[in-house]
Amino acid sequence: MVLSRKEILRRMKEHVSQEDSIVITPLIYKELEDVFDADSVDLRLGCHFLLPKTLDQPFFSPDRRSATSLHVRVHVPLGQFLVVPAHQTILGATLEFIKLPSDVSGQVLTKSSVARTFIVVETAPWIHPQYRGCLTLEIANVSNTPVLLYPGRLICQLVLMRIAPTQENAKTQTVKDNKDDLSTKLDTNYFGPVYPEAPKFRNPQDDLLRIGVTRVSSFKRTRLHATKKGWREEKSEL
Amino acid sequence: MPSGLADLLHDAAVLHRFVDFIEEYCKEQERSQTYVDASGLFFQYVEKLAAGIKQELGREIERAQRFPSRLPILRSNIWTLKNYLRLLHALIKPAADAHTLTIPAPLIELAAHQLQQVERMKNSCVVILLTSEFMYFQRPHTDIKDQARIVETFIPKASFPPKLGFIELPYSQGPSFFTNLAIYHEIGHFVYEELSNSDPPHRHIAALKSAIVRSLNKAFRKRSLDPETFAVAAKILGNWIQEIFCDLFAIRLVGPAFSFAFVEMLGMLGFLSEKATVIFNPTHPATACRFAEHVRMLQNDSWWNAIANIDAGQKKLLERLSNLPQSGYKFYWDESTPGPQSLVQVFLDVVVPAIRKLVRQVTPENVTAVRRFEKARGSIEDCLRVGVVPHPTSSSPLDPVSIINSAFCFYLTALPEVVKRFEGADAENDVAVHSLWTKRLEMWTMKAIEDSQIQDRFRGVRGTALWSSLEKKS
Repeated sequence: MVLSRKEILRRMKEHVSQEDSIVITPLIYKELEDVFDADSVDLRLGCHFLLPKTLDQPFFSPDRRSATSLHVRVHVPLGQFLVVPAHQTILGATLEFIKLPSDVSGQVLTKSSVARTFIVVETAPWIHPQYRGCLTLEIANVSNTPVLLYPGRLICQLVLMRIAPTQENAKTQTVKDNKDDLSTKLDTNYFGPVYPEAPKFRNPQDDLLRIGVTRVSSFKRTRLHATKKGWREEKSEL
Repeated sequence: MPSGLADLLHDAAVLHRFVDFIEEYCKEQERSQTYVDASGLFFQYVEKLAAGIKQELGREIERAQRFPSRLPILRSNIWTLKNYLRLLHALIKPAADAHTLTIPAPLIELAAHQLQQVERMKNSCVVILLTSEFMYFQRPHTDIKDQARIVETFIPKASFPPKLGFIELPYSQGPSFFTNLAIYHEIGHFVYEELSNSDPPHRHIAALKSAIVRSLNKAFRKRSLDPETFAVAAKILGNWIQEIFCDLFAIRLVGPAFSFAFVEMLGMLGFLSEKATVIFNPTHPATACRFAEHVRMLQNDSWWNAIANIDAGQKKLLERLSNLPQSGYKFYWDESTPGPQSLVQVFLDVVVPAIRKLVRQVTPENVTAVRRFEKARGSIEDCLRVGVVPHPTSSSPLDPVSIINSAFCFYLTALPEVVKRFEGADAENDVAVHSLWTKRLEMWTMKAIEDSQIQDRFRGVRGTALWSSLEKKS
C-alpha cells in the first residue's frame, strides 16, 4: 500500500526514536504542495557528486580495491551547476537525509519534468526498510546534448510503501507487533551516508566461493622488464 | 642594449614567467575545485595582482629605455615585487589544497559568519591553508598587508582584501569535524592582530597594554628593568595574553565544544603529561592555567551547569587541571631553566582580568545560546542515537552552536552505545569500527549544520519583496 501524504506527514511528526517514524530532512517548502503530492515527496539534488574517472586499465573490475578507483569526487555548491555530458552517467545524492521505519520500503523515481529533459534518475531505485542516509542517485543523461544540473533543485520523487504484514498480524497496525514480518538486517556498509557513495565490493573470488565456485579467473596486470634472456615479469603485482 | 637594461630585462622576464605561472595555477585550481568565499577572494586578488605585475613589468622596461637614469629605481621595484611574491607563494599552494572536499566547509562558513559578528570585524574572513605541520596556526598577516600596501603603490588595480586572515589546518585533520573546532582559537589570533593594529587602537587592547606595563612594574618593583629585559618580558606577557584571549574568544563563540576539542588536540599531540600542564614557557601559558580560564568562562556563561551531567574523561581532565593551585604553576625559559616566577603571578593577578574584559567586550553577547542548547540537546542526541542527521522538530532551524555542542557531548559519552546498538556487542572494542562511527557522527553533525544554513537562507528570502516577485512570476 502506497503511503499517502497524510500518513507520511503523520509519521514525520513522530519522535525519531519511534519505530514507525519517518525522517526526510531538510524539507524546504513554503506550501506543502511544493514538495508533496498525494502519494509522494519530491526530493532535491545535493551538492556532492561522483563522476566517472578515466581508468588507467582497459576495464573496471568490481573488487575490494575498486571503491575509489572508478570515481572522482566533486562538490558543486548551491548556486552553481554541474554539466552532465551527453550519454554519461554520474552519481549524485539527494539533499534530504532519509530514515525509513522497518515497515516501509521506498522507491525513487525521476521527476517527470526532469525525465522530459532526457535525464534518468535511478536504475536501482528500491530503498529497503530502516534505510537511513541521503539517497545515492545514478543520474544518466541519455540525450545527445550536455545538460546542466543545479544542486538544490527538485530532481526525483520518493514513493513510500507499507510492507504487507502476514495474515495473523494483519489486524495489528503497529510496527512493534509486526516485528516477525519486518525483521531485516541493517546494512551497516551503506549506513547513513550524506554524500553519494561508491560501491563496496568483496573480491569476486570471495563472493563466488560462497556459492561453491573454487576456480575463478582473474586479471593480473604486471610490469615487464627486459633481461638478457628476454622480457620477464616483475614480481610485484600492480 | 646597455648592460644594465639587459639585466633588468632578464630579471623582468624571469619575474613575468613566475607570475604567469602563479596566475595560471590559481585559475586552474578555481576551475577544478570549489572554495569557500575567503579563498576565492584571495585567488582573485592574486590573479589581479599577477595581471597587474605583468603589465607593470612591460611599462618598467619601456621607462628604463627612455630614462636609463631610473634603472636603479626600477630594479628596486622589481626587488620589492619579488619579495612580496615570495610571501604570497608560501600561501597559494596550501590555500589551493584547502578546497571544499578537503576541509569541513560548513564549519568554516559558520566560523566566518560568527567572526563577522565580532566587534570591528564586519566583512572580515579567513583563508584556510592546509599545512604539513601537525598543528593549527594563524599566519600573522600584518607583514603581508604592509608589503601589499607598498606594492599597491605601483599596482593600484590589485588591492589586498582589507580584512583577510590566514589560518593553517593540519592536512590530516582537514575533513574531520571535532578537532577542527580548534580553528576558533586561531580566528581569535586573527581578531587580536586586527584589533591590535586597528586605528584608533581598540580601547581594551590599550588597557591590556597598560596592564602589561603595570604588571611588569609590579613584578620587578625592587629592581629597575633595562629596556631589553623589559621588552623580552613584555613580549612573553603578550604571548600569554594572546593564548588566553584566543581560548576565551573561542569559548564565547562556540561554547564548551571548543574546550573538548582543545583537550582532544592536546591529547593527540601528547601535550597532556602531568608535569607539562603546569609549566609556563615563553610562548604559552600553562595548560592548567588555560583550562582554569576555560572553566571560569564556561561557568560565567552558564555553559558549565548545562554540561554538568556529561560524564566524559575530557571534562574530568578539564575540571581536574583547572583546580590545580596557582601556586604550582612554574615558568621555564626552556626545558630546564626556570624563569622569574613573579611574571606568572602578576600575569594572573593583573593581566588575566583585563583579558576577560576584552573578550567580553569584543564578542557578541549570546545569552540565549545555553538555553537553546539545553532545549535542543535531547532531540539532537536522539537523532544521533538512531543514526539520523539532527533536524529541527519545529519550523525554525537548529542553532549550529547547539548542534556542535550536543554532537560533541554525544560523541564523548554515547559513541560506544551507538556502536553496540548497530554493530553488535562483538564490535564494542573494535578500534576500526569506533573510528568509522566517529566519522559518521562527524558527517551527520556537519550535514546538520549545512542544513541549518540552508534553512536559514530560505527563511531569509521567504517573505521578502524578492520572494513576492517570484510568487508573482510563478
